[in-house]
Amino acid sequence: MKPGHNYRIVTNNPLVRDILGQWYEIDYSDITYREVLVKVRDLIYAGHTLFTHPLSGSVKPNETPYKSILVSKVPGTYDMDGTELMSNAIIAFDKFKQLERHYADYHLRDFQLIDYSLLCSALDVDAVAGLSKRNPS
Amino acid sequence: MKLELGFIEIKDVQFSNECAVKDGILYVNPDQVKEFVYENDDVRQYLKSINFDIAKPGESVRITPVKDVIEPRVKVEGPGGVFPGVISKVDTVGSGRTHVLRGCAVVTAGKIVGFQEGIIDMTGPGADYTPFSKTLNVVMIVEPVEGTKQHDYERAVRFAGLRAATFLGELGRNVTPDEVKTFETYGIKEGLEKLPGLPRVGYLHMLQTQGLLHDTYVYGVDAKKIVATLLNPTETMDGAILSGNCVSACDKNTTYHHLNNPVVAELFEEHGKSINYVCNIITNENVYLADKQRSSDWAAKLAKLLDLDAVIVSEEGFGNPDADLIMNCVKNEKQGIKTVLITDEYAGQDGKSQSLADVSPLATAVVTGGNANMVINLPPMDKVIGTLDYVDIIAGGHAGSLQPDGSIDAELQIITGATNEMGFNRLSAR
Repeated sequence: MKPGHNYRIVTNNPLVRDILGQWYEIDYSDITYREVLVKVRDLIYAGHTLFTHPLSGSVKPNETPYKSILVSKVPGTYDMDGTELMSNAIIAFDKFKQLERHYADYHLRDFQLIDYSLLCSALDVDAVAGLSKRNPS
Repeated sequence: MKLELGFIEIKDVQFSNECAVKDGILYVNPDQVKEFVYENDDVRQYLKSINFDIAKPGESVRITPVKDVIEPRVKVEGPGGVFPGVISKVDTVGSGRTHVLRGCAVVTAGKIVGFQEGIIDMTGPGADYTPFSKTLNVVMIVEPVEGTKQHDYERAVRFAGLRAATFLGELGRNVTPDEVKTFETYGIKEGLEKLPGLPRVGYLHMLQTQGLLHDTYVYGVDAKKIVATLLNPTETMDGAILSGNCVSACDKNTTYHHLNNPVVAELFEEHGKSINYVCNIITNENVYLADKQRSSDWAAKLAKLLDLDAVIVSEEGFGNPDADLIMNCVKNEKQGIKTVLITDEYAGQDGKSQSLADVSPLATAVVTGGNANMVINLPPMDKVIGTLDYVDIIAGGHAGSLQPDGSIDAELQIITGATNEMGFNRLSAR
Protein backbone atom coordinates (compact mmCIF):
# COMPACT_ATOMS: atom_id res chain seq x y z
CA MET A 1 0.00 0.00 0.00
CA LYS A 2 1.37 3.40 -0.95
CA PRO A 3 1.74 5.74 2.06
CA GLY A 4 -1.10 8.21 2.46
CA HIS A 5 0.82 11.35 3.28
CA ASN A 6 1.19 12.59 -0.28
CA TYR A 7 -2.16 11.63 -1.83
CA ARG A 8 -5.59 13.11 -2.18
CA ILE A 9 -8.39 11.11 -3.80
CA VAL A 10 -10.94 13.19 -5.69
CA THR A 11 -14.07 11.07 -6.09
CA ASN A 12 -17.83 10.86 -6.38
CA ASN A 13 -17.81 7.17 -5.48
CA PRO A 14 -19.16 6.39 -1.99
CA LEU A 15 -17.40 3.00 -1.94
CA VAL A 16 -14.03 4.70 -2.40
CA ARG A 17 -14.91 7.18 0.35
CA ASP A 18 -16.00 4.47 2.76
CA ILE A 19 -13.03 2.12 2.27
CA LEU A 20 -10.03 4.16 1.17
CA GLY A 21 -11.06 7.04 3.43
CA GLN A 22 -9.67 4.98 6.29
CA TRP A 23 -6.15 5.46 4.97
CA TYR A 24 -6.21 8.36 2.52
CA GLU A 25 -7.42 11.94 2.33
CA ILE A 26 -10.71 11.90 0.44
CA ASP A 27 -12.22 14.81 -1.45
CA TYR A 28 -15.72 13.38 -1.94
CA SER A 29 -18.68 15.20 -3.45
CA ASP A 30 -21.95 13.97 -4.87
CA ILE A 31 -21.20 15.37 -8.35
CA THR A 32 -21.16 14.07 -11.92
CA TYR A 33 -18.32 12.27 -13.68
CA ARG A 34 -17.60 15.39 -15.72
CA GLU A 35 -17.61 17.57 -12.62
CA VAL A 36 -14.94 15.30 -11.10
CA LEU A 37 -12.79 15.81 -14.22
CA VAL A 38 -13.22 19.59 -14.04
CA LYS A 39 -12.47 19.64 -10.32
CA VAL A 40 -9.24 17.71 -10.86
CA ARG A 41 -8.28 19.87 -13.83
CA ASP A 42 -8.62 22.95 -11.63
CA LEU A 43 -6.49 21.31 -8.92
CA ILE A 44 -3.80 20.61 -11.51
CA TYR A 45 -4.02 24.26 -12.63
CA ALA A 46 -3.45 25.18 -8.97
CA GLY A 47 -0.24 23.18 -8.89
CA HIS A 48 -1.27 19.72 -7.70
CA THR A 49 0.32 16.74 -9.45
CA LEU A 50 -1.81 14.19 -11.32
CA PHE A 51 -0.96 10.61 -10.35
CA THR A 52 -3.56 8.45 -12.15
CA HIS A 53 -4.95 8.53 -15.64
CA PRO A 54 -8.32 10.30 -15.68
CA LEU A 55 -9.81 7.80 -18.14
CA SER A 56 -8.78 4.69 -16.25
CA GLY A 57 -10.90 1.63 -16.82
CA SER A 58 -12.61 0.23 -19.80
CA VAL A 59 -15.97 1.69 -18.81
CA LYS A 60 -16.55 4.71 -21.03
CA PRO A 61 -17.24 8.13 -19.53
CA ASN A 62 -20.88 8.05 -20.64
CA GLU A 63 -21.42 4.58 -19.24
CA THR A 64 -20.63 4.99 -15.56
CA PRO A 65 -21.56 7.66 -13.03
CA TYR A 66 -18.36 7.20 -10.98
CA LYS A 67 -14.83 8.51 -11.25
CA SER A 68 -11.97 8.63 -8.78
CA ILE A 69 -8.65 10.33 -9.50
CA LEU A 70 -5.46 10.49 -7.45
CA VAL A 71 -3.63 13.81 -7.09
CA SER A 72 -0.96 15.18 -4.76
CA LYS A 73 -2.17 16.40 -1.39
CA VAL A 74 -0.34 19.70 -1.65
CA PRO A 75 0.44 21.90 -4.67
CA GLY A 76 4.00 21.84 -5.98
CA THR A 77 5.60 22.33 -9.37
CA TYR A 78 3.16 22.97 -12.21
CA ASP A 79 2.25 19.60 -13.83
CA MET A 80 2.26 20.30 -17.58
CA ASP A 81 1.66 16.67 -18.60
CA GLY A 82 -1.17 16.38 -16.09
CA THR A 83 -2.82 19.49 -17.50
CA GLU A 84 -2.75 18.03 -21.00
CA LEU A 85 -4.13 14.68 -19.82
CA MET A 86 -7.01 16.40 -18.00
CA SER A 87 -7.83 18.62 -21.00
CA ASN A 88 -7.83 15.61 -23.31
CA ALA A 89 -10.01 13.67 -20.87
CA ILE A 90 -12.64 16.42 -20.81
CA ILE A 91 -12.58 16.64 -24.61
CA ALA A 92 -12.97 12.85 -24.74
CA PHE A 93 -15.86 12.98 -22.27
CA ASP A 94 -17.70 15.63 -24.26
CA LYS A 95 -17.55 13.69 -27.51
CA PHE A 96 -19.45 10.75 -26.06
CA LYS A 97 -23.16 10.90 -26.56
CA GLN A 98 -24.90 11.06 -23.21
CA LEU A 99 -26.96 7.89 -23.41
CA GLU A 100 -30.10 7.46 -21.41
CA ARG A 101 -29.43 4.65 -18.98
CA HIS A 102 -31.46 3.36 -16.08
CA TYR A 103 -29.47 1.75 -13.33
CA ALA A 104 -30.66 -0.61 -10.65
CA ASP A 105 -28.88 -0.51 -7.30
CA TYR A 106 -26.83 -3.60 -8.15
CA HIS A 107 -25.64 -1.94 -11.39
CA LEU A 108 -24.48 1.08 -9.39
CA ARG A 109 -22.68 -1.20 -6.94
CA ASP A 110 -20.87 -2.89 -9.87
CA PHE A 111 -19.81 0.50 -11.26
CA GLN A 112 -18.62 1.59 -7.82
CA LEU A 113 -16.64 -1.63 -7.44
CA ILE A 114 -14.88 -1.21 -10.80
CA ASP A 115 -13.91 2.39 -10.10
CA TYR A 116 -12.73 1.42 -6.60
CA SER A 117 -10.66 -1.53 -7.83
CA LEU A 118 -8.94 0.59 -10.49
CA LEU A 119 -7.87 3.10 -7.85
CA CYS A 120 -6.70 0.27 -5.57
CA SER A 121 -4.39 -0.97 -8.30
CA ALA A 122 -2.81 2.51 -8.46
CA LEU A 123 -2.38 2.67 -4.68
CA ASP A 124 -1.13 -0.93 -4.33
CA VAL A 125 -4.09 -1.58 -2.05
CA ASP A 126 -5.45 -5.12 -1.90
CA ALA A 127 -8.92 -4.34 -3.26
CA VAL A 128 -10.40 -7.62 -2.03
CA ALA A 129 -9.09 -7.21 1.50
CA GLY A 130 -10.32 -3.61 1.50
CA LEU A 131 -13.87 -4.71 0.74
CA SER A 132 -13.98 -6.70 3.95
CA LYS A 133 -12.96 -3.58 5.90
CA ARG A 134 -15.68 -1.34 4.60
CA ASN A 135 -16.44 1.53 6.91
CA PRO A 136 -20.26 1.76 6.95
CA SER A 137 -20.27 5.53 7.61
CA MET B 1 12.76 -21.31 -30.43
CA LYS B 2 10.81 -23.60 -32.72
CA LEU B 3 7.21 -24.81 -32.43
CA GLU B 4 5.16 -27.05 -34.70
CA LEU B 5 1.41 -26.45 -34.70
CA GLY B 6 -0.64 -29.41 -35.88
CA PHE B 7 -4.07 -28.21 -36.98
CA ILE B 8 -6.94 -30.67 -36.65
CA GLU B 9 -9.86 -29.30 -38.64
CA ILE B 10 -13.08 -29.58 -36.66
CA LYS B 11 -16.04 -29.66 -39.05
CA ASP B 12 -18.80 -30.32 -36.53
CA VAL B 13 -19.46 -30.47 -32.80
CA GLN B 14 -22.07 -32.83 -31.33
CA PHE B 15 -23.21 -33.82 -27.87
CA SER B 16 -22.60 -37.51 -27.30
CA ASN B 17 -22.14 -40.19 -24.66
CA GLU B 18 -18.41 -40.05 -25.27
CA CYS B 19 -15.74 -37.40 -25.67
CA ALA B 20 -13.64 -37.85 -28.81
CA VAL B 21 -12.40 -36.34 -32.06
CA LYS B 22 -13.23 -38.64 -34.98
CA ASP B 23 -13.17 -37.76 -38.68
CA GLY B 24 -13.18 -34.07 -37.90
CA ILE B 25 -16.14 -34.26 -35.54
CA LEU B 26 -15.78 -33.21 -31.92
CA TYR B 27 -18.03 -35.36 -29.72
CA VAL B 28 -18.70 -33.84 -26.32
CA ASN B 29 -20.17 -35.50 -23.27
CA PRO B 30 -21.01 -32.49 -21.08
CA ASP B 31 -20.98 -34.52 -17.86
CA GLN B 32 -17.41 -35.67 -18.44
CA VAL B 33 -16.26 -32.15 -19.22
CA LYS B 34 -18.07 -30.84 -16.16
CA GLU B 35 -16.46 -33.47 -13.92
CA PHE B 36 -13.00 -32.34 -15.04
CA VAL B 37 -13.88 -28.66 -14.74
CA TYR B 38 -15.11 -29.12 -11.16
CA GLU B 39 -11.78 -30.68 -10.10
CA ASN B 40 -10.72 -27.19 -9.06
CA ASP B 41 -11.22 -25.54 -5.69
CA ASP B 42 -12.38 -22.18 -7.03
CA VAL B 43 -14.83 -23.73 -9.45
CA ARG B 44 -16.25 -25.97 -6.71
CA GLN B 45 -16.53 -23.15 -4.22
CA TYR B 46 -17.99 -20.43 -6.40
CA LEU B 47 -19.87 -22.00 -9.33
CA LYS B 48 -23.34 -23.28 -8.57
CA SER B 49 -23.99 -24.64 -12.05
CA ILE B 50 -22.41 -25.05 -15.46
CA ASN B 51 -24.64 -25.87 -18.42
CA PHE B 52 -23.40 -26.62 -21.90
CA ASP B 53 -24.86 -25.67 -25.24
CA ILE B 54 -23.59 -25.70 -28.82
CA ALA B 55 -23.80 -22.78 -31.25
CA LYS B 56 -22.88 -23.27 -34.90
CA PRO B 57 -22.20 -20.78 -37.70
CA GLY B 58 -25.36 -19.74 -39.50
CA GLU B 59 -27.74 -20.69 -36.70
CA SER B 60 -30.22 -18.12 -35.43
CA VAL B 61 -28.52 -17.95 -32.03
CA ARG B 62 -27.39 -15.07 -29.80
CA ILE B 63 -24.86 -15.77 -27.02
CA THR B 64 -24.69 -13.20 -24.19
CA PRO B 65 -23.17 -12.10 -21.82
CA VAL B 66 -19.89 -13.52 -23.21
CA LYS B 67 -16.89 -13.57 -20.89
CA ASP B 68 -14.05 -15.32 -22.76
CA VAL B 69 -13.39 -17.44 -25.82
CA ILE B 70 -10.74 -20.15 -25.75
CA GLU B 71 -9.37 -22.48 -28.41
CA PRO B 72 -8.73 -26.09 -27.33
CA ARG B 73 -5.06 -27.05 -27.68
CA VAL B 74 -2.76 -29.76 -26.33
CA LYS B 75 1.00 -29.95 -26.00
CA VAL B 76 2.09 -33.27 -27.54
CA GLU B 77 5.89 -32.86 -27.62
CA GLY B 78 8.38 -30.65 -25.84
CA PRO B 79 8.52 -29.02 -22.44
CA GLY B 80 5.51 -27.81 -20.50
CA GLY B 81 1.82 -27.83 -21.26
CA VAL B 82 -0.84 -25.40 -22.44
CA PHE B 83 -1.78 -22.44 -20.23
CA PRO B 84 1.46 -22.62 -18.21
CA GLY B 85 1.37 -21.38 -14.65
CA VAL B 86 -2.39 -21.79 -14.52
CA ILE B 87 -3.43 -25.20 -15.86
CA SER B 88 -0.01 -26.73 -16.55
CA LYS B 89 3.16 -26.33 -14.53
CA VAL B 90 5.09 -23.15 -15.11
CA ASP B 91 7.71 -24.62 -17.53
CA THR B 92 8.60 -22.36 -20.44
CA VAL B 93 6.46 -23.27 -23.44
CA GLY B 94 6.69 -22.43 -27.15
CA SER B 95 8.81 -25.32 -28.42
CA GLY B 96 8.08 -28.87 -29.52
CA ARG B 97 4.66 -29.61 -30.94
CA THR B 98 1.13 -28.52 -30.09
CA HIS B 99 -2.14 -29.77 -31.57
CA VAL B 100 -4.96 -27.33 -32.23
CA LEU B 101 -8.66 -28.13 -32.62
CA ARG B 102 -9.12 -25.53 -35.34
CA GLY B 103 -12.60 -24.27 -36.08
CA CYS B 104 -14.05 -24.75 -32.63
CA ALA B 105 -13.97 -22.74 -29.40
CA VAL B 106 -15.07 -22.80 -25.80
CA VAL B 107 -17.18 -19.74 -24.95
CA THR B 108 -17.84 -18.85 -21.33
CA ALA B 109 -21.05 -16.93 -20.65
CA GLY B 110 -22.13 -15.49 -17.34
CA LYS B 111 -22.88 -12.17 -15.72
CA ILE B 112 -19.84 -11.02 -13.77
CA VAL B 113 -20.13 -7.29 -14.00
CA GLY B 114 -23.14 -7.15 -16.28
CA PHE B 115 -22.11 -4.10 -18.26
CA GLN B 116 -18.81 -5.42 -19.51
CA GLU B 117 -19.62 -8.65 -21.27
CA GLY B 118 -20.43 -9.02 -24.93
CA ILE B 119 -22.70 -10.51 -27.57
CA ILE B 120 -21.97 -13.11 -30.24
CA ASP B 121 -24.59 -13.53 -33.00
CA MET B 122 -24.15 -16.66 -35.10
CA THR B 123 -26.02 -15.17 -38.08
CA GLY B 124 -27.29 -11.82 -39.37
CA PRO B 125 -25.49 -8.47 -39.47
CA GLY B 126 -23.94 -8.93 -36.00
CA ALA B 127 -22.23 -12.12 -37.15
CA ASP B 128 -20.17 -10.15 -39.68
CA TYR B 129 -18.51 -8.24 -36.85
CA THR B 130 -17.33 -11.11 -34.67
CA PRO B 131 -14.89 -13.88 -35.60
CA PHE B 132 -16.72 -16.19 -33.21
CA SER B 133 -19.74 -16.48 -35.49
CA LYS B 134 -17.47 -18.59 -37.70
CA THR B 135 -16.37 -21.04 -35.00
CA LEU B 136 -18.26 -24.06 -33.70
CA ASN B 137 -18.85 -22.94 -30.14
CA VAL B 138 -19.15 -25.10 -27.05
CA VAL B 139 -20.85 -22.61 -24.76
CA MET B 140 -20.64 -22.84 -20.97
CA ILE B 141 -23.42 -21.00 -19.16
CA VAL B 142 -22.10 -20.43 -15.68
CA GLU B 143 -24.02 -19.44 -12.54
CA PRO B 144 -22.36 -18.41 -9.28
CA VAL B 145 -23.15 -19.58 -5.79
CA GLU B 146 -25.31 -16.92 -4.15
CA GLY B 147 -23.27 -14.16 -2.52
CA THR B 148 -20.10 -14.81 -4.58
CA LYS B 149 -18.03 -11.65 -5.04
CA GLN B 150 -17.32 -10.60 -8.63
CA HIS B 151 -13.57 -11.14 -8.46
CA ASP B 152 -14.03 -14.69 -7.11
CA TYR B 153 -16.64 -15.35 -9.76
CA GLU B 154 -14.37 -14.02 -12.51
CA ARG B 155 -11.50 -16.23 -11.41
CA ALA B 156 -13.73 -19.31 -11.15
CA VAL B 157 -15.21 -18.71 -14.62
CA ARG B 158 -11.71 -18.14 -16.02
CA PHE B 159 -10.50 -21.45 -14.58
CA ALA B 160 -13.67 -23.24 -15.70
CA GLY B 161 -13.23 -22.11 -19.31
CA LEU B 162 -9.53 -22.95 -19.38
CA ARG B 163 -10.15 -26.37 -17.86
CA ALA B 164 -12.90 -27.17 -20.36
CA ALA B 165 -10.65 -26.10 -23.25
CA THR B 166 -7.80 -28.18 -21.83
CA PHE B 167 -10.05 -31.23 -21.54
CA LEU B 168 -11.31 -30.88 -25.12
CA GLY B 169 -7.80 -30.10 -26.42
CA GLU B 170 -6.54 -33.33 -24.90
CA LEU B 171 -8.90 -35.22 -27.25
CA GLY B 172 -6.64 -34.15 -30.12
CA ARG B 173 -3.45 -35.58 -28.65
CA ASN B 174 -3.38 -38.75 -30.76
CA VAL B 175 -5.20 -37.41 -33.81
CA THR B 176 -3.18 -36.94 -36.99
CA PRO B 177 -3.36 -33.24 -37.88
CA ASP B 178 -4.70 -32.10 -41.26
CA GLU B 179 -1.93 -29.54 -41.52
CA VAL B 180 1.35 -28.92 -39.71
CA LYS B 181 3.06 -25.52 -39.68
CA THR B 182 6.44 -24.67 -38.18
CA PHE B 183 7.24 -21.37 -36.48
CA GLU B 184 10.79 -20.45 -35.52
CA THR B 185 12.60 -17.36 -34.37
CA TYR B 186 16.35 -17.06 -33.80
CA GLY B 187 18.69 -15.78 -31.13
CA ILE B 188 20.28 -12.40 -31.85
CA LYS B 189 23.57 -13.67 -33.35
CA GLU B 190 21.94 -16.55 -35.23
CA GLY B 191 19.32 -14.23 -36.66
CA LEU B 192 21.91 -11.77 -37.92
CA GLU B 193 23.83 -14.60 -39.60
CA LYS B 194 20.82 -16.34 -41.14
CA LEU B 195 18.92 -13.26 -42.23
CA PRO B 196 21.55 -10.63 -43.01
CA GLY B 197 20.25 -7.32 -44.24
CA LEU B 198 16.62 -7.89 -43.32
CA PRO B 199 15.04 -5.27 -41.06
CA ARG B 200 14.77 -6.41 -37.47
CA VAL B 201 11.16 -6.19 -36.36
CA GLY B 202 9.61 -6.75 -32.95
CA TYR B 203 6.06 -6.85 -31.69
CA LEU B 204 5.31 -4.59 -28.74
CA HIS B 205 2.27 -6.23 -27.23
CA MET B 206 0.34 -4.11 -24.71
CA LEU B 207 -1.68 -6.05 -22.16
CA GLN B 208 -4.81 -4.86 -20.36
CA THR B 209 -3.76 -4.46 -16.71
CA GLN B 210 -5.73 -1.72 -15.01
CA GLY B 211 -6.79 -3.54 -11.87
CA LEU B 212 -9.16 -6.11 -10.48
CA LEU B 213 -11.39 -7.46 -13.28
CA HIS B 214 -9.15 -5.63 -15.79
CA ASP B 215 -6.21 -8.03 -15.77
CA THR B 216 -4.19 -10.24 -18.08
CA TYR B 217 -2.02 -13.12 -16.93
CA VAL B 218 1.40 -14.18 -18.23
CA TYR B 219 2.50 -17.62 -17.03
CA GLY B 220 -0.03 -17.09 -14.24
CA VAL B 221 1.46 -13.73 -13.19
CA ASP B 222 -0.80 -10.70 -13.04
CA ALA B 223 0.77 -8.57 -15.79
CA LYS B 224 0.22 -5.26 -13.98
CA LYS B 225 3.02 -6.35 -11.67
CA ILE B 226 5.59 -6.97 -14.41
CA VAL B 227 8.07 -4.63 -16.02
CA ALA B 228 8.26 -4.85 -19.81
CA THR B 229 9.88 -8.13 -20.78
CA LEU B 230 10.53 -10.47 -23.70
CA LEU B 231 8.61 -13.47 -25.01
CA ASN B 232 9.33 -15.80 -27.86
CA PRO B 233 6.35 -15.39 -30.18
CA THR B 234 5.65 -19.13 -30.06
CA GLU B 235 5.06 -18.96 -26.31
CA THR B 236 1.80 -17.14 -26.99
CA MET B 237 0.64 -20.08 -29.14
CA ASP B 238 0.80 -22.35 -26.09
CA GLY B 239 -1.28 -20.06 -23.91
CA ALA B 240 1.42 -18.09 -22.09
CA ILE B 241 -0.93 -15.06 -22.12
CA LEU B 242 -4.50 -15.38 -20.81
CA SER B 243 -7.39 -12.94 -20.66
CA GLY B 244 -8.71 -12.33 -17.17
CA ASN B 245 -10.67 -9.18 -17.71
CA CYS B 246 -14.20 -7.86 -17.93
CA VAL B 247 -13.68 -4.96 -20.31
CA SER B 248 -15.60 -3.67 -23.34
CA ALA B 249 -16.40 -6.59 -25.58
CA CYS B 250 -15.40 -5.04 -28.88
CA ASP B 251 -11.73 -4.44 -28.10
CA LYS B 252 -11.09 -7.06 -25.48
CA ASN B 253 -8.39 -9.55 -26.40
CA THR B 254 -9.89 -12.91 -25.50
CA THR B 255 -7.66 -15.87 -24.79
CA TYR B 256 -8.51 -17.08 -28.32
CA HIS B 257 -7.03 -13.85 -29.71
CA HIS B 258 -3.86 -14.33 -27.66
CA LEU B 259 -3.49 -17.92 -28.93
CA ASN B 260 -4.13 -16.85 -32.53
CA ASN B 261 -2.54 -13.41 -32.43
CA PRO B 262 -2.81 -12.07 -35.99
CA VAL B 263 0.20 -9.77 -35.54
CA VAL B 264 2.33 -12.79 -34.62
CA ALA B 265 0.89 -14.74 -37.56
CA GLU B 266 1.57 -11.97 -40.07
CA LEU B 267 5.09 -11.30 -38.78
CA PHE B 268 5.86 -15.01 -39.12
CA GLU B 269 4.51 -14.91 -42.70
CA GLU B 270 7.11 -12.27 -43.55
CA HIS B 271 9.87 -13.71 -41.33
CA GLY B 272 12.87 -14.61 -43.48
CA LYS B 273 11.30 -12.97 -46.56
CA SER B 274 11.03 -9.24 -45.94
CA ILE B 275 11.84 -9.03 -42.20
CA ASN B 276 13.67 -10.71 -39.35
CA TYR B 277 10.98 -11.22 -36.69
CA VAL B 278 13.09 -10.96 -33.55
CA CYS B 279 10.69 -11.35 -30.61
CA ASN B 280 7.72 -10.01 -28.70
CA ILE B 281 8.05 -7.36 -26.01
CA ILE B 282 5.14 -7.46 -23.58
CA THR B 283 4.19 -4.44 -21.53
CA ASN B 284 1.24 -3.28 -19.45
CA GLU B 285 -1.37 -0.50 -19.25
CA ASN B 286 -1.43 0.49 -15.59
CA VAL B 287 -3.44 3.42 -14.27
CA TYR B 288 -0.66 4.93 -12.14
CA LEU B 289 1.16 7.44 -14.33
CA ALA B 290 4.63 6.58 -12.99
CA ASP B 291 3.99 2.93 -13.94
CA LYS B 292 3.22 4.06 -17.48
CA GLN B 293 6.46 5.95 -17.69
CA ARG B 294 8.49 3.04 -16.32
CA SER B 295 6.87 0.44 -18.57
CA SER B 296 7.17 2.49 -21.75
CA ASP B 297 10.77 3.43 -20.87
CA TRP B 298 11.61 -0.24 -20.39
CA ALA B 299 9.84 -1.38 -23.54
CA ALA B 300 11.76 1.23 -25.55
CA LYS B 301 15.00 0.26 -23.81
CA LEU B 302 14.53 -3.40 -24.75
CA ALA B 303 13.72 -2.48 -28.35
CA LYS B 304 16.95 -0.48 -28.56
CA LEU B 305 18.97 -3.20 -26.84
CA LEU B 306 17.74 -5.65 -29.49
CA ASP B 307 18.70 -3.21 -32.26
CA LEU B 308 15.19 -3.31 -33.68
CA ASP B 309 14.47 -1.28 -36.80
CA ALA B 310 10.72 -1.29 -36.28
CA VAL B 311 8.03 -2.34 -33.83
CA ILE B 312 4.37 -3.12 -34.34
CA VAL B 313 2.42 -1.92 -31.30
CA SER B 314 -1.01 -3.30 -30.41
CA GLU B 315 -3.28 -1.88 -27.71
CA GLU B 316 -6.10 -3.28 -25.60
CA GLY B 317 -8.83 -0.89 -24.51
CA PHE B 318 -9.56 2.82 -24.78
CA GLY B 319 -8.73 5.96 -22.81
CA ASN B 320 -6.07 5.15 -20.24
CA PRO B 321 -4.29 2.71 -22.62
CA ASP B 322 -4.19 5.41 -25.31
CA ALA B 323 -1.63 7.20 -23.14
CA ASP B 324 0.56 4.06 -23.05
CA LEU B 325 0.12 3.59 -26.79
CA ILE B 326 1.36 7.09 -27.54
CA MET B 327 4.23 6.84 -25.03
CA ASN B 328 5.34 3.58 -26.69
CA CYS B 329 5.16 5.27 -30.07
CA VAL B 330 6.96 8.47 -29.13
CA LYS B 331 9.80 6.84 -27.17
CA ASN B 332 10.59 4.38 -29.95
CA GLU B 333 10.28 6.92 -32.76
CA LYS B 334 12.61 9.30 -30.92
CA GLN B 335 15.32 6.64 -30.80
CA GLY B 336 14.97 5.93 -34.50
CA ILE B 337 12.76 2.83 -34.31
CA LYS B 338 9.81 3.06 -36.67
CA THR B 339 6.42 2.24 -35.15
CA VAL B 340 3.12 1.06 -36.51
CA LEU B 341 0.21 1.35 -34.06
CA ILE B 342 -2.88 -0.85 -34.08
CA THR B 343 -5.86 0.58 -32.20
CA ASP B 344 -9.57 1.16 -32.60
CA GLU B 345 -11.59 4.34 -32.48
CA TYR B 346 -14.17 5.95 -30.24
CA ALA B 347 -14.99 8.68 -32.70
CA GLY B 348 -18.59 9.30 -31.66
CA GLN B 349 -21.69 7.81 -33.25
CA ASP B 350 -21.21 10.02 -36.32
CA GLY B 351 -17.50 9.16 -36.54
CA LYS B 352 -16.50 12.84 -36.55
CA SER B 353 -14.80 13.20 -33.16
CA GLN B 354 -11.16 12.64 -32.32
CA SER B 355 -10.64 8.89 -32.19
CA LEU B 356 -8.15 8.50 -29.34
CA ALA B 357 -7.76 10.15 -25.95
CA ASP B 358 -4.11 10.91 -26.68
CA VAL B 359 -2.23 11.87 -29.85
CA SER B 360 1.23 12.70 -31.16
CA PRO B 361 2.59 13.98 -34.48
CA LEU B 362 5.05 11.07 -34.34
CA ALA B 363 2.18 8.58 -34.68
CA THR B 364 2.32 8.59 -38.47
CA ALA B 365 1.41 4.95 -39.13
CA VAL B 366 -1.82 3.88 -37.43
CA VAL B 367 -4.08 0.97 -38.29
CA THR B 368 -7.66 1.11 -37.00
CA GLY B 369 -9.94 -1.75 -36.05
CA GLY B 370 -13.03 0.41 -36.61
CA ASN B 371 -15.24 2.89 -34.77
CA ALA B 372 -16.71 1.27 -31.67
CA ASN B 373 -19.36 4.01 -31.35
CA MET B 374 -20.98 3.13 -34.66
CA VAL B 375 -24.65 2.24 -34.14
CA ILE B 376 -25.91 -1.12 -35.36
CA ASN B 377 -29.22 -2.94 -35.30
CA LEU B 378 -29.20 -6.62 -34.44
CA PRO B 379 -32.39 -8.42 -35.44
CA PRO B 380 -33.96 -10.92 -33.04
CA MET B 381 -32.63 -14.48 -32.97
CA ASP B 382 -34.69 -17.64 -32.53
CA LYS B 383 -32.61 -18.73 -29.56
CA VAL B 384 -30.70 -16.92 -26.83
CA ILE B 385 -27.94 -18.76 -24.97
CA GLY B 386 -27.49 -16.93 -21.67
CA THR B 387 -29.70 -13.94 -20.90
CA LEU B 388 -30.70 -10.61 -22.44
CA ASP B 389 -31.11 -9.02 -18.99
CA TYR B 390 -28.04 -6.85 -19.35
CA VAL B 391 -28.37 -5.52 -22.88
CA ASP B 392 -29.65 -2.10 -21.80
CA ILE B 393 -26.65 -1.43 -19.56
CA ILE B 394 -23.90 -3.38 -21.30
CA ALA B 395 -21.09 -1.21 -22.73
CA GLY B 396 -22.52 0.13 -25.98
CA GLY B 397 -26.13 -0.30 -24.91
CA HIS B 398 -28.60 2.23 -23.52
CA ALA B 399 -32.11 2.35 -22.11
CA GLY B 400 -34.29 0.90 -24.84
CA SER B 401 -31.48 -0.94 -26.64
CA LEU B 402 -33.45 -4.14 -26.28
CA GLN B 403 -36.62 -3.84 -28.35
CA PRO B 404 -39.84 -5.71 -27.49
CA ASP B 405 -39.30 -8.06 -30.44
CA GLY B 406 -35.83 -9.05 -29.18
CA SER B 407 -33.88 -6.90 -31.62
CA ILE B 408 -31.10 -4.68 -30.27
CA ASP B 409 -30.08 -1.12 -31.17
CA ALA B 410 -26.65 -0.43 -29.78
CA GLU B 411 -23.12 0.69 -30.47
CA LEU B 412 -20.71 -1.73 -32.10
CA GLN B 413 -18.78 -2.06 -28.84
CA ILE B 414 -21.43 -4.48 -27.63
CA ILE B 415 -20.13 -7.23 -29.97
CA THR B 416 -17.29 -9.48 -28.84
CA GLY B 417 -14.17 -8.85 -30.91
CA ALA B 418 -15.80 -6.31 -33.28
CA THR B 419 -13.00 -3.73 -33.23
CA ASN B 420 -10.18 -5.93 -31.96
CA GLU B 421 -6.95 -3.98 -31.64
CA MET B 422 -4.74 -6.83 -32.79
CA GLY B 423 -6.56 -6.53 -36.11
CA PHE B 424 -8.40 -9.83 -35.70
CA ASN B 425 -11.51 -8.91 -37.62
CA ARG B 426 -12.83 -8.16 -41.05
CA LEU B 427 -13.81 -4.51 -40.86
CA SER B 428 -12.20 -2.21 -43.36
CA ALA B 429 -12.78 1.25 -44.75
CA ARG B 430 -12.67 2.71 -48.22
